[in-house]
Amino acid sequence: MMWLSSGFIFRRGTSAYHRLDPRVKLLVSVLMFVTTLLVRTLYELAAVLLFMIALSAFATVLRRVARTMAFTALFSAFIFALNFVFTRNIETSLLYAARFVAIVVSTSLFFITTSPDELEQVMKTFRLPRDVIFAFVTAVRFIPVMFLDTIQIMDAQKSRGLELEKGNLLRRVRNMIPILIPLVVNSVVRSGELAEAMESRAYGAVPRPTSLVEYRTSLADKAVATAAVVAFALVAYSFYFVIPAQIL
Amino acid sequence: MSNILEIEWLGFRYPDSPRKAISDFDLAVPEGEIVVLAGPSGCGKSTLLRAVNGLIPHMYSGEYTGSVRVGGTNVKESSMRDLAQKVGFLFQNPENQIFMFTVERDIAFGLENLGVPRPEMRARVDEAMRLLDIGELALRAPHELSDGQKQRVALAGVLAMEPRLVILDEPTSLLDPKTASELVGLVARLRKELGTTFVVVEHRLDLLVKVADRIVVMSDGRKALEGTPAEVLFGEDAESYGVSTPSITRLQKMLAKDGLVPQGELMTTAELATSLEGGRS
Repeated sequence: MMWLSSGFIFRRGTSAYHRLDPRVKLLVSVLMFVTTLLVRTLYELAAVLLFMIALSAFATVLRRVARTMAFTALFSAFIFALNFVFTRNIETSLLYAARFVAIVVSTSLFFITTSPDELEQVMKTFRLPRDVIFAFVTAVRFIPVMFLDTIQIMDAQKSRGLELEKGNLLRRVRNMIPILIPLVVNSVVRSGELAEAMESRAYGAVPRPTSLVEYRTSLADKAVATAAVVAFALVAYSFYFVIPAQIL
Repeated sequence: MSNILEIEWLGFRYPDSPRKAISDFDLAVPEGEIVVLAGPSGCGKSTLLRAVNGLIPHMYSGEYTGSVRVGGTNVKESSMRDLAQKVGFLFQNPENQIFMFTVERDIAFGLENLGVPRPEMRARVDEAMRLLDIGELALRAPHELSDGQKQRVALAGVLAMEPRLVILDEPTSLLDPKTASELVGLVARLRKELGTTFVVVEHRLDLLVKVADRIVVMSDGRKALEGTPAEVLFGEDAESYGVSTPSITRLQKMLAKDGLVPQGELMTTAELATSLEGGRS
């Protein structure tokens, strides 16, 4: 599980791409995402994918992006098979399958290089309510804690004779109940304690809380954002007006 | 010196409970003291602490009698916003009071909520990190910290709000002996540097007797004993309320009974040994 999800979990990085304003990274990812939806041929898609791989290499996360791609391969094989059954067209089926990989890569590139702190910043930019942002922050904050909780509960129940790996599928699912119940109870207790601690530290005291960290958009951020928008406009324009699809 | 905390005839009963969690409780704490609150589990310590910082009655409603005053203002009539700046509360499990992804942002959490301007907030966060000597952890994530470090971060978050009174709820229960004694040393230092008053719920009396000014023993929601550590621990009743007297104090008590050492002050192992040496020569 950890292996699969690692394609979406942030790890601290120091590349120039990591240091960009999170909103710029979001813009780049969204534009790449849209581009993958605009492409009409395999060649165009290959070009887009190649660009994403180059960008991943620049952001020094190529290895993890590759892992994401390997993970999505299974799904995209399924998409290919399904499309081929219905359309009997190898090229179209391949396009859909590869497009799925490209979409996942564009999204994962954003999540891999953006810290939860920066995500919070992005949410603030969109003027989401403070409670929603805080709920998101605590949810992400407690992922590692709940993960450790789960391991502890599993060990405790195993030592009391619970056999997790035995039996058919139904049996295995039923075996998860003794894991889930303590986990839920733990979380409810924890949320009560969190609420007390929040109250004790004046949560919600003023309608507009201030922030310790200030995010400034640098010149590099502006340059990258402009370049991304211009490049996207050029690519989109060329797809539809300059290069007819048949030539490629 | 004026009293920072004044509890008068406090009584509290939770809505679904047949008996009172606290009854007829009186306590006055002068500013700058370290008070240890002891007693068996379920004796009402946690309820008392929550009544001091305002969670009772603002978050938990119930049958409330008497009054609690912090720095002269009645807790019942103040808002949680004001109380959060007067009373700091370090909960038992530091994990569940660290909210943010980095240490420095978590320390700033309370100040952000209060709307403190950024330059002032920066200064107060840095000062809290300096006091607890955790400057190098500023950008760490909570899951990258040890239990002792989490405890310090949580305490820094409390201190950044500059409360005059700090409540510590079993602060050493999750710490190893070395880290626990470091924490007690820290409390003594903060009292000296900042003049902060501490109310500490603690079972490890051996660590705290040297720094505490007073011990209050609770039983069944009432105050059972109150006095200096020496008064409480040399008294006859402490053991019957489940207070575990440090072994060295028990030894001193036994030796004093035979007239071998004096029984005025609590002695450390070294002091006791010196006193015995002196008595023999």
